[in-house]
Amino acid sequence: MPGDPARVMAGLGATPATIEAIRVKLGLYEPFHVQYWRLISGLFNGQLQAMTYHKPVWTVILERLPATLELGAAGMILALLISIPAGLLSAIYRNSLLDYAVTTAALMGISIPVFWFALMLMLVFGVILHVLPVSGRGAVLWGWSFLTIDGLRHLIIPAVALSSVQMAFNARLTRASMLEVMRQEYIDTARAKGLAERVVLIKHAFRNALAPVVTNIGLQIGALFAGAVLTETTTAWPGIGRLMYESILRRDQAVVFGLALFMAAFYMLSYLVVDLMYAYIDPRITYD
Amino acid sequence: MTDTDQDIAVSQKMRPQDYILSLLLPGLGHIVHGWWRKALIFWALLAIQGGTLYLAILRGRLAWFAYSASKSPSEYWFSTSILFLLFFMVWVFALLDLRRSIHLRSEETYARGYWQIVARRFSKDAKGIVGLLIILFVLYVALFAPFYARGNALKMDLVHFLAAPSPEHPLGMDNFGRDVLDRLIFGSRVALGIGGMATLLNMLFGGFLGLIGGFFRGVSDAVIMRFLEIINSIPFLVLALLIISMWGSSIPTLIVVLGIFGLGPARIIRSEVLSVREEDYILAARAVGTPTGRLILRHVLPNAIASLLVVTTMSIGVNIIVVAGLSFLGFGVRPPIPSWGAMLQQAQEFMRTAWWMAVYPGLCIIITVFGFNILGDSLRDVLDPRMK
Repeated sequence: MPGDPARVMAGLGATPATIEAIRVKLGLYEPFHVQYWRLISGLFNGQLQAMTYHKPVWTVILERLPATLELGAAGMILALLISIPAGLLSAIYRNSLLDYAVTTAALMGISIPVFWFALMLMLVFGVILHVLPVSGRGAVLWGWSFLTIDGLRHLIIPAVALSSVQMAFNARLTRASMLEVMRQEYIDTARAKGLAERVVLIKHAFRNALAPVVTNIGLQIGALFAGAVLTETTTAWPGIGRLMYESILRRDQAVVFGLALFMAAFYMLSYLVVDLMYAYIDPRITYD
Repeated sequence: MTDTDQDIAVSQKMRPQDYILSLLLPGLGHIVHGWWRKALIFWALLAIQGGTLYLAILRGRLAWFAYSASKSPSEYWFSTSILFLLFFMVWVFALLDLRRSIHLRSEETYARGYWQIVARRFSKDAKGIVGLLIILFVLYVALFAPFYARGNALKMDLVHFLAAPSPEHPLGMDNFGRDVLDRLIFGSRVALGIGGMATLLNMLFGGFLGLIGGFFRGVSDAVIMRFLEIINSIPFLVLALLIISMWGSSIPTLIVVLGIFGLGPARIIRSEVLSVREEDYILAARAVGTPTGRLILRHVLPNAIASLLVVTTMSIGVNIIVVAGLSFLGFGVRPPIPSWGAMLQQAQEFMRTAWWMAVYPGLCIIITVFGFNILGDSLRDVLDPRMK
């Protein structure tokens, strides 16, 4: 990164000698591999300090993590609750008015930048209607804000904004997957047996159509983090997305590095969980 | 030329009056033959371009007549040349289209190629046409931005800063007293320029990786796929933020970062190539002894072109959104260059006093990206060779 961390730490008007001393203290003159090893090991044994917080990087990240976890979970749940039924109905009533409405709304949804959507929600519900708080996390109970009424009210705008893209994406995916399944012959068989249409659609079609949707939830974790950076910055939600943005601005490389590693690890973990769930949802797949 | 072509050429030719009428005014030749709809399309094009020309002359910005030579005349030259090129193209297209229509009329039935079927299907798909019209509109505004903007998007008016929308400034003024509408008009250049260039790089670099991985499989595929997975494990926006914070933000950096690390297309192209390479015609070409390079360029690539087109269209939309996001965070296009994302960043501070600063740039992003998305969606349906 441009900008010397030693200079940032020393502050304005520091003498060259002070800066030099900080450089030696940070070990910036040591060979690359030594510095790299200290970075990796420091991350795990807590010796790697966040420059601006004077605390180990892990502590800083873990302090901010609950905020993002609850925002991400709320956004994801909201997205799934709306998008899966919408995609399902849209596929069942294909080419109806409802279908056009859902597909158009979904296409709009993937075209809207999340941060602009957040700004508009803040403008309408916060500035004009005065019904929702526009920024921050509100009251927090045991580290979670969804446990208090005030915190819940603060959660609405960022969660809705964050969920918009996932909602649109999942609705499209559910619809496409459902249409694909409904073309299969076993659906014809089920109908020929004289099963009720509801049973055919839900037990035979929907369950099979769900597999690709579930797989994609894991893939969306990455997009969710990216969305969190934008939403949290816009709505001043004190999570790791905002921490990432702040740390990049402050040139706090230790935190940036720790966060990047954390996000990648989280992504891979969720990917693994989804892979295992896949076998549960679709019995045709087994892991021997 | 085959025999049948010559037969038709003899039986149906352009008459001299067809040439004269069509050169006189595009579409006039069509009228004589009763093709009203086509004539109207040409006239509509002429009317739109005529309007642009009128505006340019009225504002004294047509290159030869620009009276204030100090204000970047090269910008005027660019738009003026494009405008006259478009005028020229209407004439040429009218003539070529008339020739082709006369030519085709002589033959009652003729075999349609793949692209003709696609064009016919596309012309019946309202969704795709709306998308195309939106994109053409934004592109048109971007090309002729200096003619459409009243000011120059950078001029500050510190007396009227944060002025509400008025007849004089339809979309209001920003915090430096710059006209929001003018900045939006010039912002379209940034959005389409960066989005388009980054997508071009995406397709060249990602397309190359996907093609190599999908075609050769084995070790090269494994290496490429692991590389893609590593890149994918960090959210793209975060990765772009990190790289740009190291390299510093400028428009070329943005294009390179989005172009090289936006590897979504690589995966899609790989899976497409994987399925194409198993087709019998590839086996046949291989059996004849076609060299590998030729096999890829002449046999695999043309058969994967449909999904390439869809991916390209959608990628432009994605890239526009990412550029806006980066600019919004202050890591993209830097002020004072007018860009929609950076305008939103400024608007954040003035939410309570100047809503117009926040609403309109966002609408521009949505409409443009929506255009690319519905066009891509429609192309996916239209280009599908299985759909008859």
